[in-house]
Amino acid sequence: MILDDLRAIFRDGLNVDPIEPITPETRFFADLGLASIDAVVLGEELQKHYGRKLPFSEMLAELGEREERDMTIGELVAFLQQNL
Amino acid sequence: MPKTKANGLTFHYQQAGDGPDVVLIHGLTGDLSIWFLSRTLAALAENFRATAYDLRGHGYSDAPETGYTSLDHARDLLALLDVLKIRRARLVGHSFGAVVAAHAAVIAPERVEALILSDPYFPSLRHLEDLSRWGHWQNFRKEAEEAGVQLSVDTWYDLTTFFDQVLHLDDQRMLAFRRAVGLPGLNRVLRLAQTTCGADSKLEAGLDANSIAQISVPCLALYGEHSPFLSTADHLVSNLPHCRGRRIPGAQHRAPEEAAGAFVAAVREFLEDLEPVAQRDTCS
Repeated sequence: MILDDLRAIFRDGLNVDPIEPITPETRFFADLGLASIDAVVLGEELQKHYGRKLPFSEMLAELGEREERDMTIGELVAFLQQNL
Repeated sequence: MPKTKANGLTFHYQQAGDGPDVVLIHGLTGDLSIWFLSRTLAALAENFRATAYDLRGHGYSDAPETGYTSLDHARDLLALLDVLKIRRARLVGHSFGAVVAAHAAVIAPERVEALILSDPYFPSLRHLEDLSRWGHWQNFRKEAEEAGVQLSVDTWYDLTTFFDQVLHLDDQRMLAFRRAVGLPGLNRVLRLAQTTCGADSKLEAGLDANSIAQISVPCLALYGEHSPFLSTADHLVSNLPHCRGRRIPGAQHRAPEEAAGAFVAAVREFLEDLEPVAQRDTCS
């Protein structure tokens, strides 16, 4: 399941293992305290994990255009579902 | 994530595309993600080999305790060019990243093909600006104050004062501060606060007005229409032999964030109009 994959990647790739479990509503920046540079590294970790190129640059550029520069884990799951 | 040793430190970098080299340099307290969020890296990768890296103390690069003047950063950059086998590059720097780019052009002109200076403020040209007018700083000051960090009007550039106070906040105030100013990745700011970055970035470190005026590579002084540093912009255009000026409509100090589309278009136009570098390379 993608959400379980993400929890493992957050823990092992980004050293993020919050007390509150990561849910689809968890926000990348506001809740996990991460920065956009972590999103760049997450993109690489995901490509490595799934063994394929993902349009992560595009997703980051889209994030840059948002008023509230944040994304939920649910959005990330949807992105992966679309592209895997 | 791609990392490499240069100048004794480990640097995180990202590369995309093929062609003449362009290197992107972010500003203080930032990191290379700005070039992703603004779509700069992807756009340049269509015609260039674009390289972005995290400055020392920033992002996923090492954070030594000392060595944060523009000269130190310029030496890092040149060492990184060596490791990545980049002989000459067009440098695009934003804010303090542009000071680093200019410093590299002064100490190693043969390595620098052209410069885009996006909204820099130079310690040696401080007399040109009246910074009390800088709205961004005034807003930040107000938000910081509500969260218990006192910053004076004229210490805007003084990261030392800022870092020092943030380091001494208790847990509750730290949380309030983070919420108030919305600083993502506060831990990285705290890591930087324990270095000499704040004090070092105020130093000229040899980049005086004369050496800036001798930068003779093609140069673009790219400033936000409402930048607090427009006197510096005018000074660069008047004093550098090959410097053009351009303003980004609607932007203040952070054009890559405030007007990403216009910023990227201006960067591309300038870089793509330059004389091809390959021919000159084979002659030398």
